[in-house]
Amino acid sequence: MKRILIVDDEPHITRVLKLYLERAGYAVDAAQNGRAALDDILKSAPDALMTDIQMPIMTGKQLCLAIEEQLPQRTFPIFVMTSMTDREHREWTQKIDNLEFLEKPLSMRAMTRALDKYFGIAETDRGACHV
Amino acid sequence: MSNNTFRGIDFSRYQRWLNRAVGAEAAFMVFDKAGIPLWGQDTPQAIELGLAIAAAGTDAAGPHRHDLDAGRTALYQTLGNSNIGQLGWLAVMVDHFGKQDAPVHIDQLAETMDDLAAGISDEYRYKDDLDAMAEELGERYEELHLIYSIDQHSHGQTEQDDKMFQSLLQSTAEHLNVDIVAFVKPSRDICLYSTSLSREIPNLDLVLVEMRGDLFRFVQSSGETAILNTPDDSRRVYIFTDMPYKVIASPIRSNGRVDAMVVLLNHAHKPDFTNADRKLAEVLANQLSHLSNTYLLLQSMGEFNQQFAKSLIEAVEAKDPYTRGHSERVHFLSMEIGRAMGLPADELDDLFWGSLLHDVGKIGIPDAVLCKPGRLTQDERTFINVHPERSYEILRHIKHLERAVLGARHHQEMYDGKGYPHGLKGERIPLHGRIIAVPDTYDSITSSRAYRAGRSHEVAMREIERVSGTQLDPAIVKVFRELVAAEPEWLQRFNIRREKD
Repeated sequence: MKRILIVDDEPHITRVLKLYLERAGYAVDAAQNGRAALDDILKSAPDALMTDIQMPIMTGKQLCLAIEEQLPQRTFPIFVMTSMTDREHREWTQKIDNLEFLEKPLSMRAMTRALDKYFGIAETDRGACHV
Repeated sequence: MSNNTFRGIDFSRYQRWLNRAVGAEAAFMVFDKAGIPLWGQDTPQAIELGLAIAAAGTDAAGPHRHDLDAGRTALYQTLGNSNIGQLGWLAVMVDHFGKQDAPVHIDQLAETMDDLAAGISDEYRYKDDLDAMAEELGERYEELHLIYSIDQHSHGQTEQDDKMFQSLLQSTAEHLNVDIVAFVKPSRDICLYSTSLSREIPNLDLVLVEMRGDLFRFVQSSGETAILNTPDDSRRVYIFTDMPYKVIASPIRSNGRVDAMVVLLNHAHKPDFTNADRKLAEVLANQLSHLSNTYLLLQSMGEFNQQFAKSLIEAVEAKDPYTRGHSERVHFLSMEIGRAMGLPADELDDLFWGSLLHDVGKIGIPDAVLCKPGRLTQDERTFINVHPERSYEILRHIKHLERAVLGARHHQEMYDGKGYPHGLKGERIPLHGRIIAVPDTYDSITSSRAYRAGRSHEVAMREIERVSGTQLDPAIVKVFRELVAAEPEWLQRFNIRREKD
């Protein structure tokens, strides 16, 4: 089972993501800020990372830059959750490979489709799990 | 689903509570409704016990007693409450039940089991409620996501509304992951659709015909969103006679009656449409309804403007039948030049009106002067020369034409500064004035006048080249030269004479 690490300080977001991702057949762990996520990642890399930007202690941007520095050989993808209206503030991600945006308010369909696509899971394999 | 909720419960904590309450290591087990052990699978005889309990199928709280061999006895108790129904059972295995040397006091055990069952049931219920709320929240995010993306698409895109609609439908089809999204408005003969096909639809044309015919009439008369998932749905008699697609059709009202709808279509192999999909279709219908009303309003405003302008031009041309079509042709050619120069959309809009209305000022010129064959006297020429200024005076009252009017006002300026009304020179002449001047010159040579027949394209081009740099802006002449070099279709459409004839 693919392990997804969600980093978000808002528990209602984390809970929704966890519910939909678990239903789609993923194992989900959650961290409340970049610091906690980085500790988790250094212990054991997830199959995918989904992170918010605005968080206390360590922001999503700081987290991504720290990962770039400490894990230059990273293979897992990073999905950055950002507001649709915040298109201008994305330049800092340009030098980071294997990073995609998921636009808030998040579409659970778009999110599971993005992950399925990344892991090469066909939609028909899912069948009854359509939510 | 229920097992998912159970999975989130930490049974080891309940195990520890039980151990403490009875003062010994107790064999504690939890079973789901089918008797499958969720906790304590490793206890000997757990599986056998689960099956036996499920077979007995009791729903009275308990504890109930079930004797196993080797002198062991299980006490079990139902899990669940009146709010959530029965979820399963919990059980505790006891040795030497009821005997003097039994390690566990029976009354104390029964009370503890009661508390544990209530605790687990409550925790289950809270988790279940939270999941339901999270699910609901997820659906709301989905709706918001859709609304935001529609908003993004419709932002500041009034220029090309049909393209905006198209790209909006496209992104919706992809986002909702449906084979077809369509916006149907039969009264206006509109059927816009976009596809994100999971498989080919070979008879797409036929599907669209049925959509705007029978399906629309069905939705119109029911006035409600229709979901058809199963192929044997009885309503299919009225619609999609033998097309096995899954359908959501959501009505759009204006002034209280259904005059359009949104349709989502999926192949039969896709999952059924759910209530969440219905909500999204209705959100989409609502948004598209607003957008289409705005779009149609803009369209009719645009039509009104053009018809009004046409009337003005006819008023001018009525004075001089020989100039019939002149404004339209100069307008057409000015726009060709403007597009070839890559002018931005807002400038093209100004050029559109400026070139169309450039001769409106001729209304003020006496017929005797305007239609006079042969040479004009000095006074008569003065009358002619003031017509661009007249155009300006007539049009300046229209706020929307504030910038457009510059082109009309200065189309008779000359590049060397000898033109009128202001004698502006070179780049100081507003660009649109310099643009309009070229086709204005061209058309005045190639079209018939009161005093002579129209001359050929080649004569006109030679004349334009001759006055390039004195009368006309060489840069615009160059653009025009390149345009006509491609032998465009309008040479024939405008009936322009050629030298080879």
